[in-house]
Amino acid sequence: MGLLAQGIVSGVLVGGLYALMSLGISLSWGALKIINLAHFAFILLSAYLVYQLTVSFGLDPLLTILIILPLFFLVGVLMQLFFHLARVDEFKSLIVSFGLLIIFQSLIQTTWSADFRRIGSALNPYETESFFIGSVAFPLAQLMAFVSALLIAGAMYLLFTRTYFGKAVRAVAQDPEMARAFGVDPRRVAVILSGLSTAFSALAGVFIAIGQTLFPGLAVGWFGIVFSVVILGGLGNALGAVVAGVIIGVAAGVATILWGPLAAPLVTFLILIGALLFRPEGLLTTRSVA
Amino acid sequence: MTGRARTLIGFVVVGTALGLVPNLEEILTFPRFYLIFLFTIFFWVAQASSWNILTGYSGYFSFGQGAFYGVGVYTASVLVGKHGWSFITALPIAGVVAGATGLVLGLVVFRVRRLTGEIFALTTLAVAFVLASVARLSPSIDGGTGIFMTGTAVPEVLGEFTTAVYRLTLLIALVAVVTAYLIHDSRLGWGLFAIRDDEAVASGLGVPTFRYKMIALGANASLAGLMGGLWSIQLGFVTIDDVFNIRVPLFVILMSVLGGMRHWMGPVVGAVIITTLADRLNSAGLADVNQIVIGGMLVVLALAVREGVYVRMRRRWGTTAITFFGVLVVTIVLGINESLISDFAYAMVATVVVMLLPERAWDQIRRFFGRREPGAGDERAEGLTRTGS
Repeated sequence: MGLLAQGIVSGVLVGGLYALMSLGISLSWGALKIINLAHFAFILLSAYLVYQLTVSFGLDPLLTILIILPLFFLVGVLMQLFFHLARVDEFKSLIVSFGLLIIFQSLIQTTWSADFRRIGSALNPYETESFFIGSVAFPLAQLMAFVSALLIAGAMYLLFTRTYFGKAVRAVAQDPEMARAFGVDPRRVAVILSGLSTAFSALAGVFIAIGQTLFPGLAVGWFGIVFSVVILGGLGNALGAVVAGVIIGVAAGVATILWGPLAAPLVTFLILIGALLFRPEGLLTTRSVA
Repeated sequence: MTGRARTLIGFVVVGTALGLVPNLEEILTFPRFYLIFLFTIFFWVAQASSWNILTGYSGYFSFGQGAFYGVGVYTASVLVGKHGWSFITALPIAGVVAGATGLVLGLVVFRVRRLTGEIFALTTLAVAFVLASVARLSPSIDGGTGIFMTGTAVPEVLGEFTTAVYRLTLLIALVAVVTAYLIHDSRLGWGLFAIRDDEAVASGLGVPTFRYKMIALGANASLAGLMGGLWSIQLGFVTIDDVFNIRVPLFVILMSVLGGMRHWMGPVVGAVIITTLADRLNSAGLADVNQIVIGGMLVVLALAVREGVYVRMRRRWGTTAITFFGVLVVTIVLGINESLISDFAYAMVATVVVMLLPERAWDQIRRFFGRREPGAGDERAEGLTRTGS
């Protein structure tokens, strides 16, 4: 029983990280109609940068957020400007961002080599620390990722439903031409949103650097989970992504405990198939941006 | 004689000529490496052509080539390496299992009503990694240890190992290209093109969209798996990281984007060019840079090239021939390269660069030579066939 409870708790917490990793892709797909596979590279690149900053300058890994987030916001802005300049549509975005993913991944591999990298525990106070409720552990690194995912999802929900900018985003997602006619600049909206979603991916990278061992092949291993979360949560739906992340995290965690590690990817994939068959528009459709 | 009969005879002639190359080895005394280089090209021709049957014709963008290829590789290696089957019986099974994988995938994804194209693309992307983790964790498939395929017996009729691999890859590549050609000019092909242009309209006009998409996906997956099964003996030692990586989908996409996805010859041309370039980069010790160059080419070509180089080459076949053979002869005569393959690589790069010149540049060149626009009719005809944007 204790094992199962621990499995569920870990699943929920890991689900927060999954959600954080999926937010950027989900937002840019749902609201900007750009399927940006380069986000996988951004998550990984951010994780490696956090690693490098802590190891080279002895920075606290959490403090690197102050450098990482603005940096990646800028990257997202530049990328969106590039996409606009090159007139990338939804379909082309797949090919182009796939090429970008390959470039970034190779650059990471040539810079940091294919070896395993991990922030040493002397520099990383968050790695092993845990809260306990009864015998159930809440690892600090995962807890932080989960809380950030919740906060961001809540903030995005408020942003999209309560503010003028959110209304503009939804208008652009529905019909850019019409939005333009009503005085919204689609390019400005897109650039800001792209910056935000890239920053979210970078934040996921920070928590990955804190909690995991890094290697270049990591990025492609995320495809299955992230894509399942994006589809199950609904495109452009931040709250949906958190719910979906938790569902998939718990299902994979419980499956691992019950049937061993072989079951986790299978269960994830079955959830994806089920989502595609029965709710292709996502779990919480009515609140979707797109 | 109809155009189709002429093309089919062309396939027979080219196939026979290439099939005889190993017999010439002793007479011409060329290095053994040339055979390996050629069958690597055949491998990619088959992969790119089969990919294009689904993605080029129907417009459903697939990242699943690596998954289908991997299913083929692992079906053959498990049957041969773990259960002691003979290679030649395991080979067709590899194609069948990969085809079945594709059909099951299609059954799920093609049922989704909204966003089918994008969801299809990303599901195929995820499939390879799910399969990889299943193979890694299941000891009856791989279990993380890899499978040895070295010393697998090939039928003696086909000659010794390299020659046999050469002939089998050639055969499968021919089957893939002929399949792509036959579908291109058939009712099925027209149906697939209609689906690509506008699926709702196609469906309304009576194209059985679901069935056609399933046929295209099945053909794609089974050909990819068949070639994968064969490739398992070339790999020698089969590991998950080697098989289920991003290389296969990346290369087939790049090849088809470069060559052109609207014509069955596009992927063939693209495969020949990219394989040659990748081989030269590797032999120049630039394997690390290789991936970056390939990724960069993909971005640039996807943005810059609309119809692929093959269509342009056909429109200006004279310029193509002059550039290609001109550069080839010059490099051979000057002897600036040690290898004949490098000469070909230079000639191909020169041709591609010339072909990728924008129309404005061609106007300038024509004006410079004071000639009247020779291909005006072609331009107009091309404008008619080019739909969408």
